[in-house]
Amino acid sequence: MYGFEAMTFNIHGGYLEAIVRGHRAGLLTATDYNNLCQCETLDDIKMHLSATEYGPYLQNEPSPLHTTTIVEKCTLKLVDEYKHMLCQATEPLSTFLEYITYGHMIDNVVLIVTGTLHERDVQELLEKCHPLGMFDSIATLAVAQNMRELYRLVLVDTPLAPYFSECITSEDLDDMNIEIMRNTLYKAYLEDFYKFCQKLGGATAEIMSDLLAFEADRRAVNITINSIGTELTRDDRRKLYSNFGLLYPYGHEELAVCEDIDQVRGAMEKYPPYQSIFSKLSYGESQMLDKAFYEEEVKRLCLAFEQQFHYGVFFAYMRLREQEIRNLMWISECVAQNQKSRVHDSVVFIF
Amino acid sequence: MVVDHETPSLENGQTDKEVEENANVLQFMDSMDAYLTLIHSLSSTLRRGWLELASARHSMGASRVNTVLLDHTSHPAATSLLVTQDEGKVDSGKPHFTLCKWASSSNENSLLGEKQSSQDKLHPQLRHRGSTELCEEKTSSENKASREVDDPVQKERSKSLSMFGTLVSPKLRAAQLSFEAALETLVEIANMRSEMLCAFDQVNMKLEGRKDEK
Repeated sequence: MYGFEAMTFNIHGGYLEAIVRGHRAGLLTATDYNNLCQCETLDDIKMHLSATEYGPYLQNEPSPLHTTTIVEKCTLKLVDEYKHMLCQATEPLSTFLEYITYGHMIDNVVLIVTGTLHERDVQELLEKCHPLGMFDSIATLAVAQNMRELYRLVLVDTPLAPYFSECITSEDLDDMNIEIMRNTLYKAYLEDFYKFCQKLGGATAEIMSDLLAFEADRRAVNITINSIGTELTRDDRRKLYSNFGLLYPYGHEELAVCEDIDQVRGAMEKYPPYQSIFSKLSYGESQMLDKAFYEEEVKRLCLAFEQQFHYGVFFAYMRLREQEIRNLMWISECVAQNQKSRVHDSVVFIF
Repeated sequence: MVVDHETPSLENGQTDKEVEENANVLQFMDSMDAYLTLIHSLSSTLRRGWLELASARHSMGASRVNTVLLDHTSHPAATSLLVTQDEGKVDSGKPHFTLCKWASSSNENSLLGEKQSSQDKLHPQLRHRGSTELCEEKTSSENKASREVDDPVQKERSKSLSMFGTLVSPKLRAAQLSFEAALETLVEIANMRSEMLCAFDQVNMKLEGRKDEK
């Protein structure tokens, strides 16, 4: 019953909530980012990160460093923390934690299928998969020729199986079908996660509804912008939007017919939370839209920690860490390419 | 006052020679200046392209913008380079490089587009009084042709990006345009280098000729 979580939550979730709040305290601060932005080389970045929680993961990496190495090692830290929390969790928290990784699972499936279509070596593809999205039979994906086989041979025994009902066809896998498959799977996953959180009820449902609705709306905007000028029809575009969120259903109707970024802006500015995002951009510009959406997301994720006794803190922590890794990736790229003046184009401060 | 009529013609002969030598030296220096300018332009275009690619990876995620997604199946090249020799000129043997962009399936259209744009550069559209209608018809048909050229070019661009997915970020498209511009600059550099080396040979020949005379 909503309001009484304080009486029972700590029995099963208290330890892990304390753990995740401790991890949150280890997120990089604005001071850390300022120091990192002043680095001249990737070795300087490694030196600054050695004083943070990433230190043990980077200390044994030999020079010369690459940006991908920094990202991989920082991701390993997140994976270790996640696995520790997962093995300590009981139901329904363990299912909630597993839901957080299904997005990465979908990305890995699409990576393997696309890479196989391009005649790439499976081992090479497996090395590039996100560790949070790995499952036992992932390597078998390479033998599938169409989505029916993909489902029947591999995915029927994975958590993604229920999401395949909307995209099973016997058509051979090609670039367009794979893209539609990716977005259809992600849509189904988000809707399922949303329903699960609603079933949990209480503060978890309230906080996660807001976060997942924002995710669905952002996806809708990105799908619209990325499909401008492509062969994706309006109907196909509409089918990829999730069936929840602030933009559902009237915002989706307007987005489905947008032909340029200004029309997208016109559709989004009718919604006050997104008006503030688009007000930061000049007309015709979409370069800074990603950063504006990330900033809004970080604000909402930080607010999740203001309340206790709910599972939203776990989701918020994972997303904040992923944002931090994106920041480190961007800083590393700017340093490696000697473009430090562009560092603040995409870094989103968390604190 | 004795007027020496022979001296002016001798001076003219020497002057012509000097003028020719100066022209060769100027041509060499002009081509070198253009070459260095193009190198600088290439450097800044590539820097922009690499940053846009990093920006696209930041936006779409490392799993979507990745070297493992590059297509290893055999397929026709989207762009090819044509090397010809300049014949019938004094400096024959000088190679000339031409980029045939997006030539895999829309070869005729792309070449048509290039021909039209090069003709436009050579013959700027002057307004002819009394034949306005004809001009307007010609302009609208050219616009239609350029739109028709643009659509297959856009399709080829999207096709080459499709290895990263069909719904890609505008940042990845911007990176593609930057690298396309860099490729064009590379071909210009090759042609300019060829001209520069040719001009250098001319200057060298004249200098050696002078030494022999002495």
